[in-house]
Amino acid sequence: MVDIVNIRAHAKDLLEKGTVKMVLGYQRGTAGVLAEPAFITDAGQADHLVWDPTCVQNLALYLVNEKKAQSHQRDPDTRPIAIIAKGCDSRAVAVLLQERHFERKDVHVIGVSCGTLGVVDKNKLSKALNGRVATKVEPHGTDSFKVTTAEGFVDVAAADVLADRCLECACAYPAMHDVVFGEKHEDRGYPARFTALGQLEAKSEDERWAYWEGHFNRCLRCYACRSVCPMCYCPECVVDSIELMVDPTTSADEKANRIKWIERSAVASENSMYHLVRAIHLAGRCIDCAECERVCPVDIPIRMLNNKLEKEAKDMFGYEPGLDPELPSLVASFRDDDPNSFIR
Amino acid sequence: MSSILKKTDLGAWAAALEAEVFAPALADGVWAYQPVAPGANDGGVALTHPNTARPPKNFAFPQREVLYTFEQLKGQAPKLTETLPNPAPVVVMGVRPCDGRGAPRNDMVFTGAFDDPYYQSRRAKTAYVGLACNTPPSPNCFCKAVGGSPSSKEGLDVQLTDLGDRYHVVAVTPRGEELIEAGGKLFAEAGAADEKESQRLHSEAAKCEQRTFGDLAAAAPALKKNFDSEMWQSLAKACIGCGICTFLCPTCHCFDISDEVTGQSPMRGERVRTWDNCQFPDFTMHSSGHNPRETLGARLRQRVNHKFLYFVENNGTQQCTGCGRCISFCPVGIDIVAVLDRMIQA
Amino acid sequence: MASTPTQTPKDPSVFEPRIVAFLCKWCSSAGSDLAGVSRMQYPSNAVPITVMCSGSVSPVYILSAFNKGADGVLVSGCHPGDCHYLKGNYFARRKIFLVQKLLSFIGIEKDRFRMSWVSAAEGAKFAQVVEEFVRDIRTLGPQRKLKAKR
Ligand code: SF4
Ligand code: SF4
Ligand code: SF4
Ligand code: SF4
Repeated sequence: MVDIVNIRAHAKDLLEKGTVKMVLGYQRGTAGVLAEPAFITDAGQADHLVWDPTCVQNLALYLVNEKKAQSHQRDPDTRPIAIIAKGCDSRAVAVLLQERHFERKDVHVIGVSCGTLGVVDKNKLSKALNGRVATKVEPHGTDSFKVTTAEGFVDVAAADVLADRCLECACAYPAMHDVVFGEKHEDRGYPARFTALGQLEAKSEDERWAYWEGHFNRCLRCYACRSVCPMCYCPECVVDSIELMVDPTTSADEKANRIKWIERSAVASENSMYHLVRAIHLAGRCIDCAECERVCPVDIPIRMLNNKLEKEAKDMFGYEPGLDPELPSLVASFRDDDPNSFIR
Repeated sequence: MSSILKKTDLGAWAAALEAEVFAPALADGVWAYQPVAPGANDGGVALTHPNTARPPKNFAFPQREVLYTFEQLKGQAPKLTETLPNPAPVVVMGVRPCDGRGAPRNDMVFTGAFDDPYYQSRRAKTAYVGLACNTPPSPNCFCKAVGGSPSSKEGLDVQLTDLGDRYHVVAVTPRGEELIEAGGKLFAEAGAADEKESQRLHSEAAKCEQRTFGDLAAAAPALKKNFDSEMWQSLAKACIGCGICTFLCPTCHCFDISDEVTGQSPMRGERVRTWDNCQFPDFTMHSSGHNPRETLGARLRQRVNHKFLYFVENNGTQQCTGCGRCISFCPVGIDIVAVLDRMIQA
Repeated sequence: MASTPTQTPKDPSVFEPRIVAFLCKWCSSAGSDLAGVSRMQYPSNAVPITVMCSGSVSPVYILSAFNKGADGVLVSGCHPGDCHYLKGNYFARRKIFLVQKLLSFIGIEKDRFRMSWVSAAEGAKFAQVVEEFVRDIRTLGPQRKLKAKR
């Protein structure tokens, strides 16, 4: 069990001593039952921090944002940032280190173990409560949650409301940390990794296309899935229309003929392009925090695209992202015995 | 005069309408307006939705609209071909009061100072059959705080009120009367008891607890005063700059125009209008590379000010209708009610 | 290009696959030239795009070719160990493998996307790779799934 009191005390200590400039954590929000990101810079506010199964966000995103902001500051505060990180989040930090976004000394990882649980899926929760509104979710024992609603308390089985990614999590204990709260559990008793993916892979080619075409068709191209991903940090994404500098001599032809890999129109063909580019660009980098899938307002199962590439990388190249910041990245490395028989 | 429609006759009514009918249905885990299949009259249409994830704004303002097509032979002037839409009539059923109130606000944008023929030709063919909220469908509803109510008829053509096994039906516009007429015998005259029950439900709903930021009239001056406030940066600190809050808003209407080239020699293609929004990094990007709204704080301010200050200055009413989507769907809990509250308190 | 691929008569009712071939300048592109100057007979369906290295072919090029209407995409580079830049083709091998897996996962026919090793001396092999590719795509028919609908 993780006691928030200990996390708060640790955060307070770091801020009082000035060893970190900020603690990235979670606090209660006003928008609903989910916690919201907290940016604590003052030891007096460390008591706002919360830790419970509604702390869904992967805060590693903000490490990148901070670093980007710093590059514009004249006299930046270069002290490290402390981040509260679940197992998946800590792997995101490792990938960002691997990609040299910052150095190990720039970040203080406050690991929290999800133990035998994890975080809740808001949709599953509302389904389990039959539409009643949850106001609080607490761990209850090793396999259920105590959920508070206006009508009282309900005990909900964890397996029914845990996020899909948590059900298949391979790293509920933070691999990389400076301090860690909570214990390690070897067997969490949930389905094996890639179970959901396997079901999709088992479908026929036509069924798979029908599945994805239907989903790509529905995409709004709101890019929340991109914006929320800690690894989608490119200052200029392939879908943004900012790559052509226009001056008074730029002709209409040049404007019309500039390279646009993906049109703005949210139609199936362009949406497929977006999703495929996104998935490929995250190959070997996605650590399956599934934030992309969680934030999608129309529930497109994009996590499966990332999962597919993660599984191939593991099976064929023995590559697992986010475990060792010193390893070369998946697509910038090779082995002599990489698969070759598919090539003519 | 008002009438009564049995719930089991809703599908038959949809079938009787000479229009493409849409109603909310749960598909892929999401409530969305879906075409009502002809012959769904065996109770196939049921208005049991909380509110749809996407608002109904796309019926008049689709996410992609072709403005015209072009073709240019080498050395010649480009030839443009008009593509003004001429849509079949559309009836959208189950529109919640907040979304109904979105329609006249969008009309203000696309009619008047600028007449937008694309919007107008679709809008003229679209009718909204609303469903009053007996209880607020979302914990983030705040229609009352923005001058609406769970039984508001604004922007609707017909209003339905759920009386259990039947709807109390009120025509709001002449188009609404036509729609009811098309249903013929499916509609019975409402008795005094039904009207009274409907009234009771409306006033019960008006008493429901909702979120609020206090005085609506205080919002515009507060936003004006706090334009340069440091609070914007801190309130937007967690914002990821996605398109959720705007794309899902029933009244956000910003768009981009681009040329989609589909062939060379002759060069041909389409000029298209697509939804755009103020939270994207390239929205205000100048061709020089300068971006006047670089920070997320400035973008949040733009979103809130547009709804509660600039629109008020331009059109005499606030633009937000309190549907709560931008709050419920924001990935990081940014909450327009809380933002307004902070601004008014400051 | 000095090649003389077999000219197929243009009959609009017959499906002529359109193939985009990304060819490494140092090997496969030279291999295709050799096929040409040796007057080998092979179908003319491949539009060659010469690149500096198979490793420089971004997945977005491949996807974009499909988006613009290609029925098949070929990436061809130097045999393992022969890369002009030493490692480019090994990087390509990994990347292309992943793209192929992803495309087939979403339901695109596996045979629409191919990679080959063709050296500058292998004109005959180049002709054979193209011939087989065209034959396979002919059986699959036009690619419509990723093609922009306009
Ligand atoms: S979050 Fe969902 S709707 Fe938005 S771009 Fe991603 S997949 Fe599309
Ligand atoms: S792609 Fe999705 S699951 Fe993977 S790291 Fe990014 S947000 Fe997390
Ligand atoms: S601003 Fe938010 S609450 Fe208001 S109408 Fe738009 S989405 Fe709904
Ligand atoms: S306020 Fe929320 S929904 Fe809107 S852009 Fe920011 S993160 Fe996205």
